Amino acid sequence: MSLTIAIPKGRLGSQAIDMFKSSGIGESIDENSRKLVFKDEKLDITFLLLKNSDVITYVESGVADIGISGKDMIMENGSDIYELYKMNIGKCKLSVAGIKGRKIFKDDTIIKVATKFPETAKKYFSSKGQKIKIIKLNGSIELAPLLGLSDVIVDIVETGNTLVANGLEVFEDMYNINAMIISNRISYKFKRKEIKDIIEIIRKEDECYGKNN
Amino acid sequence: MKFLNIEDEMDFFQKMFILRKEIENFLFEEGYMNIEPSIFEGYDEFTGVNSRIDKKSTVKLLDNNSEILILSPDITTGIVNKFMPRWEIGTKLKMFYYGKTYKHNGIGIKENREMGVEIIGEKNQNTDENILNTAITIISKYSDKYLIEIGNSKFLKGIMQACSFNKEDYENILDLLYLKNKQELKEYLSRLPYKEPMSTLVNIFDLEGSFDEILNQLEGLYLNDLMNEGIEELRNIDKYMKNVTDKVTYDLSLVSELSYYDGVIFRGYIDGSNKEIIKGGRYDSFTQQYGYKIPAIGFTVELDELIKVLYKEGQ
Repeated sequence: MSLTIAIPKGRLGSQAIDMFKSSGIGESIDENSRKLVFKDEKLDITFLLLKNSDVITYVESGVADIGISGKDMIMENGSDIYELYKMNIGKCKLSVAGIKGRKIFKDDTIIKVATKFPETAKKYFSSKGQKIKIIKLNGSIELAPLLGLSDVIVDIVETGNTLVANGLEVFEDMYNINAMIISNRISYKFKRKEIKDIIEIIRKEDECYGKNN
Repeated sequence: MKFLNIEDEMDFFQKMFILRKEIENFLFEEGYMNIEPSIFEGYDEFTGVNSRIDKKSTVKLLDNNSEILILSPDITTGIVNKFMPRWEIGTKLKMFYYGKTYKHNGIGIKENREMGVEIIGEKNQNTDENILNTAITIISKYSDKYLIEIGNSKFLKGIMQACSFNKEDYENILDLLYLKNKQELKEYLSRLPYKEPMSTLVNIFDLEGSFDEILNQLEGLYLNDLMNEGIEELRNIDKYMKNVTDKVTYDLSLVSELSYYDGVIFRGYIDGSNKEIIKGGRYDSFTQQYGYKIPAIGFTVELDELIKVLYKEGQ
């Protein structure tokens, strides 16, 4: 039975493609090409190369059966999918950061939060009982506190180098983030064996990666 | 580019009408009686029974006493609330209805057409078989690429009760089960004091496939009376299903958005559709809030989803 797999473009996708290729799957994938659809004719698998934030949309709508997406995107979208396997790649943290040394907010004023992840930020701060105003940005989030647009930012932190370079620091880690293999709910019913086989193959590669990194 | 014109829209309505009539006629001939469900429910009554429903998605209204009502997101709840207060022991109802459910979907209010079937007040081996058979007859009439998925809520309930989780942990664990997120479930449980039933809980995602595969996987796992009861019920159903269709799969981790199910639960899917076409199950304990336990089982057919599949296949 044919299977369609959504892969994000960029570093996460490259790592995933390496895992597929080293298990002999998807040899036709060429990341340097402008093509966005690749077929493994032998195994009847179609790969879609997508913007990372679109992987969930394709999987949830059933255009792709399974996909690889960051947990950050999954939390933000609150999608109706299965989270079948948590990978060792794409590890980072979703954190609250701000200007170094200004982490105390004593009055009951509303904190301005600049972020690409408004839903996740709302949920997190509401669980802490902190009122916030969301400022939705699409990039260069670190600039917001420096220019007075926001008090803090909620963003992905990998090494923290970008924060330090901009005079910011992490105030609080919110969630650990990993890449996950997600599946469409209905595809999983009809193609359970195929999907579980692929996950088993990737799991082996992924555990090797986990041990070496 | 051409958008929906009146002619096509009328055409769609005729197709929907024919589909509806076909199913209604079939159910009427099978001896089900028609009822007309109400479109209102009390907000508190509804969310009290269905704690897992997304409260934000309900469409609220106020009556003239400032009581909060909602446009019904699930018709079965309304039917139970309608009949149970004046239920007489010994009554048997076998009924069907056409109705709409309402939910906020982020953009606006989504109306959903559905056909429902309920049997209340009767329970013997045949009841479960009859209802499954009715569901299969309907779905198989419209596609041969269908799949029936069967679970039993007693199995999960048996584990959850034996673990006696607090309300917060209980809800979080159900969420992880719904997502089939094995690793996070394991991590979550490892933070709680160990109890024996947890060993079955972390392996629950392996308990899917054919009934025989599940029996193999069950070996050596923790089981209690309620869990065994659930498995025995499935064993009987599987015996029956083997003579009806091979398009059956079982899943013991099946979690429903509606929490009133108590016993066998089932879904029907059609390959190429992205939603359940059939959803149903047994809900005996639902009636307990009215002081007595009346056996009840039923299912709904999602007409909007079904007609999409029919169009796709060019019928």
